[in-house]
Amino acid sequence: MKLRVDASECTGHGRCYRIAPDLLSYDDEGYVSIRGQDIDVPADMVDLAEEAEGTCPEGAIFLIED
Amino acid sequence: MTTHAVDDPATVTTHAVDDPATVAARDGGGCPVMHHDFAPSRPMGTHWELAKQLREACPHFYNAYDKGGYWVFTRHDAVRDIYKQADIFSSASITPWEPDPIYRLVPTQVDAPDHIKYRRILNPWFSPKSMDFAEPMIREICREYVEQIAANGSCDFIEEFALHFPTSAFLNVIGVPVSETDRFVKWVDDFFAGFSGDPAGLEPMAKALQEIREFWVAWLDERRDQPEIPGDLASHLLHVKYDDERPLTDDEMLDMLTVLVLAGLDTTRGELGYMFHHLALNPEDRRRLIAEPEIVPLAVEETLRYYTIVFGDGRKVARDVDFYGVQLKKGDMVYGLVSAANRDPDAWERAEEYVIDRKRNNHMGFANGPHRCLGMHLARREMQVAVEEWLRVIPDFELVGQDGLVERGGGSMMSLNKLALRWDKAS
Repeated sequence: MKLRVDASECTGHGRCYRIAPDLLSYDDEGYVSIRGQDIDVPADMVDLAEEAEGTCPEGAIFLIED
Repeated sequence: MTTHAVDDPATVTTHAVDDPATVAARDGGGCPVMHHDFAPSRPMGTHWELAKQLREACPHFYNAYDKGGYWVFTRHDAVRDIYKQADIFSSASITPWEPDPIYRLVPTQVDAPDHIKYRRILNPWFSPKSMDFAEPMIREICREYVEQIAANGSCDFIEEFALHFPTSAFLNVIGVPVSETDRFVKWVDDFFAGFSGDPAGLEPMAKALQEIREFWVAWLDERRDQPEIPGDLASHLLHVKYDDERPLTDDEMLDMLTVLVLAGLDTTRGELGYMFHHLALNPEDRRRLIAEPEIVPLAVEETLRYYTIVFGDGRKVARDVDFYGVQLKKGDMVYGLVSAANRDPDAWERAEEYVIDRKRNNHMGFANGPHRCLGMHLARREMQVAVEEWLRVIPDFELVGQDGLVERGGGSMMSLNKLALRWDKAS
């Protein structure tokens, strides 16, 4: 599974990296550090990725099945 | 509360420009014209009850007042879309009963493309990284308040804690001595007493605004022509370049500093009041937060969702558009009822319950879209620290007299005026 953050939708609420700190982190302005990128989600972090997707107020996080 | 159907003769008024019945005809769904005044103080919780009634009654309606009116959208998806479609819904006015305000809050009322240029200057100051740096001092400030209060066995939580702690923490973050707390507390209290619609509060409000501005004028003057002082926001603003091009003007700096004071202090006071009211009434939630401190951040988010202090948020329509079946015209004002949207059962399971460890909590308590709250990371950190430090010293507490709690009206942000708590000093 891949996790994608849409750069035009993310406004830096910070819910994703708070709820999934082992998967996501933040930059100096408070945006998720992988804004505008895809990352691979390790098999043991799929639940975390789903929680991050569900908690984003902007709907900026997309999970893509391999 | 008065509600009139569109064809009720009582609603036929003679506005030259803005006849409510004519305007309401632009809604294909046939929802009523209403005449709600959201400003007055009411018994605690009444605003959320009203928001729920409105959400269940109608997805949108036209709210008429003596000089005009505005469209109210009550459900989650429409409120979210108002926030996110900032090209249609301008922030030129965020107060629907004041479509052409004489003030301009920066960057609150600035639209794209300039808005993000101001936010880029301020975002790093209120980022999670900055809050990680500030947290030990915020905790120290909180601890002093709590330990002092604990010895008394009782307090008015609002007066003695919720007004003071966020103010001290905020001043510390922007590099103003915490000894200035009392002055800022009074200014902010006076400002919002008037802003929420109480006519008796207008004069103190204007005076407070004037004094806040004078404080910043003098503060900036002391720092002008000096090297940048680390950790001092005013000094930083004097040195920073807007859009990497030009220095900020004095008016811009004063507007930004004033907005931070007004937006950052009263809001946290409101949320802390409701959170501790909830904890006073729910000992099982207190015990859970003590036993599982890792869920404190989730409880903070759920507080922001369930006890949303922003009754509604206004925007000005920038171009004609069909929005959820309403033909909006350029210049119309809309009001997204955030407090109703955040408890919309179409958006969350158990939406009308406070679920202390709710995880998928994409609430709009800090707004949404490009204008999402600048101070959200500070506010969360303050709430988290307040709960942790309070429960460490005062694990059990209760309300003194459960009746008669009053919340300030939704004209600005809902906030308990008073919250009397007591506890065993030995506990």
